[in-house]
Amino acid sequence: MPTYTDMTRCDGCGECVDICPSDIMHIDPVYRRSYNIEPNFCWECYSCVKACPQHAIDVRGYADFAPLGHKVRVRREPEKGSISWKIRYRDGRLKEFTFPIRTTPWGSVKAAQDYEKPDLNALNSQMLAHEPAALHIDALPALKAKA
Amino acid sequence: MLTINPFAALTNFFSPLVLQVYLALMTLAVIAGTLFDVYHKGSAKFFTQRREHSQAAATRPLSSGETFSLLAETIAEAAVSGEFCKWPRRASHLLMMYGFFLYVVTTVVLVFGYPGAAHPPAILPALWTIGASMILAGGLWFFFFLRVNVAHDGDSSFHLGRADLFVGSLIAGAAFGLIWHCLQTAYANAAAAWIVFGLYIFFTTLLFLSVPWSKFAHMFFKPAVAFQRRVEEANGSSDLPSPSTENYIVRS
Repeated sequence: MPTYTDMTRCDGCGECVDICPSDIMHIDPVYRRSYNIEPNFCWECYSCVKACPQHAIDVRGYADFAPLGHKVRVRREPEKGSISWKIRYRDGRLKEFTFPIRTTPWGSVKAAQDYEKPDLNALNSQMLAHEPAALHIDALPALKAKA
Repeated sequence: MLTINPFAALTNFFSPLVLQVYLALMTLAVIAGTLFDVYHKGSAKFFTQRREHSQAAATRPLSSGETFSLLAETIAEAAVSGEFCKWPRRASHLLMMYGFFLYVVTTVVLVFGYPGAAHPPAILPALWTIGASMILAGGLWFFFFLRVNVAHDGDSSFHLGRADLFVGSLIAGAAFGLIWHCLQTAYANAAAAWIVFGLYIFFTTLLFLSVPWSKFAHMFFKPAVAFQRRVEEANGSSDLPSPSTENYIVRS
């Protein structure tokens, strides 16, 4: 089911243009709102649907089955670290699911170079870099060395 | 310049009635243009259908008090341009919105309330100038740095399209209005001032006559859409999932 933009919701921020791995989300030259320039090439990855802060992007099936009335919508809440889905089935049933997507605030992941350089002696340790502190636990079990 | 009525000197050349009729015609153009836009796009029909679908699918009918509260929330959001997700877009929109409001209101008051008075209450011409300057600041910021096809699609900053009709004529109208006011204050009856005045009137007329083809009418229908969206989320008919009740951010 390829994506399309609801122009009454889109504020033209361009997040979908930046995130689309297929480079098919572009800015409409007349209305300056995003649109899918080639639905046939959509990977249906939902990246733009999840990234859109206005919930302006939706997916729809092709004409042979779209009129059957099903719907899939998504709400990403980075401030809560969750993503929720609402599925409307063809017989009218509704189901909602919420999943955690991360446990740390958005944008808080440190790059490798932001960590303190490990001691070379750590190569002899069974721990990986920054363990166990990076796992937010006090200690990890270690294999006993053979006598 | 900040205390002089920019329209006063014009009454030496033609009757104040000319400007008053011009403003009335521009108001009619906006009303007619918006109604044509609504008819042409079928937006009234679309919103009526959407409202009916929403009412039919509502799982929790709203009381009139709740509806009024949602209306107040929508107005409060529109007043601070809360629908924008990025602060630069929001700041530039606020500058243009309140600048345009000041500019239009003071123009109407000066033309109808003080025709021919070179020195009306000083606050009026000052607000007119501040309003036009705010439009210019917000508009140029948006035009050269924030337009999405410039910032994200990599177009030239000078690329012009139909989507620029509203913001382009707004910026040009405010810019030529300010230049004309400066010129006529410094050099009375200079030929350059009349040329710039012609450009000012041209772009201002373009702004108001181009409503069916520009996004001028967004100031009327955007709040209506935002209100309907709030109603759908409140009465349970929205297709969007409900906001998560759990916060999974447990570490800093």
